[in-house]
Amino acid sequence: MILLATFIVYLMLYLTPGDPALALVPPRATVEDIQDVREKYGFDEPFIVQYGLFLWRLLHGDLGTSVTTATLNTDVGTIILQRLPRTLELMAIGLTISYSIGIPLGVISALRQNSVTDRGVMVFTLVAYAMPSFWLGIMLMLLFAVKLDWLPLGGTVGGFASIILPTITLGLGNAALTTRMMRSSMLEVQRMDYITQLRSRGLPEREVIFKHGLKNAILPVITVIGLDIGWFVGGAVVVETVFSWPGIGKLVIDSITKHDFPVVQGCILVLAIFVILGNLIADILYAVADPRVRLG
Amino acid sequence: MILRKRLNSLLLSWKTAGGVRQTIVEIISRGSRNAMVVIGATIIVTMVALAILAPVLPMADPTPAELKVADRLLPPSSDHWFGTDNIGQDVFSRVIWGTRVSLMVASLAIFFSLLLGVVLGLTAGYFGGAVDYIIAGTIDLFWTFPAFLLALAFAAALGPSLANVILAISISYWAGFGRLMRGQALSIRERQFVEASRALGARNGRIMFTHILPNCTAPLIVWASIGVADAITIESSLSFLGAGTPPSTPSWGNMLNLGMPFIGEAWWIAIFPGIVLLITVLGFNLLGDGLRDVLDPRMKGMRR
Repeated sequence: MILLATFIVYLMLYLTPGDPALALVPPRATVEDIQDVREKYGFDEPFIVQYGLFLWRLLHGDLGTSVTTATLNTDVGTIILQRLPRTLELMAIGLTISYSIGIPLGVISALRQNSVTDRGVMVFTLVAYAMPSFWLGIMLMLLFAVKLDWLPLGGTVGGFASIILPTITLGLGNAALTTRMMRSSMLEVQRMDYITQLRSRGLPEREVIFKHGLKNAILPVITVIGLDIGWFVGGAVVVETVFSWPGIGKLVIDSITKHDFPVVQGCILVLAIFVILGNLIADILYAVADPRVRLG
Repeated sequence: MILRKRLNSLLLSWKTAGGVRQTIVEIISRGSRNAMVVIGATIIVTMVALAILAPVLPMADPTPAELKVADRLLPPSSDHWFGTDNIGQDVFSRVIWGTRVSLMVASLAIFFSLLLGVVLGLTAGYFGGAVDYIIAGTIDLFWTFPAFLLALAFAAALGPSLANVILAISISYWAGFGRLMRGQALSIRERQFVEASRALGARNGRIMFTHILPNCTAPLIVWASIGVADAITIESSLSFLGAGTPPSTPSWGNMLNLGMPFIGEAWWIAIFPGIVLLITVLGFNLLGDGLRDVLDPRMKGMRR
């Protein structure tokens, strides 16, 4: 999987119109510089040899060096490692928010199926899902930072206060999905025979729902956490740009505008690895939750 | 001869039961009784009408050749319903023209990914074996990655232009259609009417496109509707990030991108394009969800 991801990432650079050597040198490079780059990266070789060279450098941890003036010749790996913790904290808090909203809402609306509460929750999920995260971010910013002036506009200077809006923006869309899944899973479990049996034995309703029902209903919701990570990777790119959050997502967008291709390549590779790890986690959790699924 | 007649009648009954025309009639008659479908369809029809009528509607030029300093950042008024932006362009007319761009990009992108997904998925599911192995592997690879991330990567590599956005979204989104089509083809090819058709001497191509494909009309329509909603979101996100529709063409995403630095003084630049975007996406999602509930109750509540 990771090998295929590197292939796609490399293919992208290859497909970029124009001379790739020109894309890899600083703006005021001489003809000799360009020739050097061409030889170093083997651009005069056939495609498959070029890809091989790229992989070889990658295996040695060499992602190339940045070509924009601000960070000229800095190792791409170093730049990415600096930004990585920021993205990780955003994603971790965002995930927590989306589950702490989604699971209770889903359970409540399943327990009161077709009630006003349930309808309200369903409308909320529809709207929250349809809302593009960048617009939600701008709206939250407009309300809490511009009009009310409670929270900082963006960046990280405000400490904990600066992380509130970005994580809510990131978490809300996924909270909608989690709510829907939790609701349908809870509804399904409630129709099971063993729940009816527990009720008929006279167990208190609270115990039936929280001890027996929820425990089974929550499994399918938890197992998709790995897939949610993939969703959050895409969201992080947008949210970091809206709130000028110095993570990998902002880095990739900035590098695209500055035509810093080695950095773009490195970032996309890291994001792809996130997605792949997310899928791996999903597979493992699935096997843990359901012993009938065997790994291998 | 008698055998052939019986086979023909068997075939005919299956075709009328699952034909495209029948499915569409059924969708309309059952869908019109579902509130979600009706609301969704109303929103979509309104947006499409606005998009088509944009050039003849009596409103300001979205990209006037002459810009006046006095027109900058005007709040909403009877002259400018949604106010004006930072260089004095009318936000209302740009939102309406943006509808045109967003709907066109999204529907073309979904059309191409549908085409790619259907052809590849059908081929894989119908023939099986080595062909299936290769195609199914490719589908899974594309399916693993979130469409937005893939589209961003492709759009970044190709550079911002309308055609490139459509291409980027198509390449990123087709796997869903491919998966759906492959699964359907795998099960339908075992059915009796396919066997009957083969016994009558029909070629593979004919079986694939006249017998298997029409039986998949309903799920394909559902997926395409939700797909258009996703594609609109992807297009606007890409444009917002500066990797999608070029700034010269008004689109909801790049209006928000250009308006970002001014939201402190002019909230209207950011709010209106977003509301229209939200309503449109909601419309396609409602239509898709509603149709799915109507056509296949077993799929209720499923997503992803």
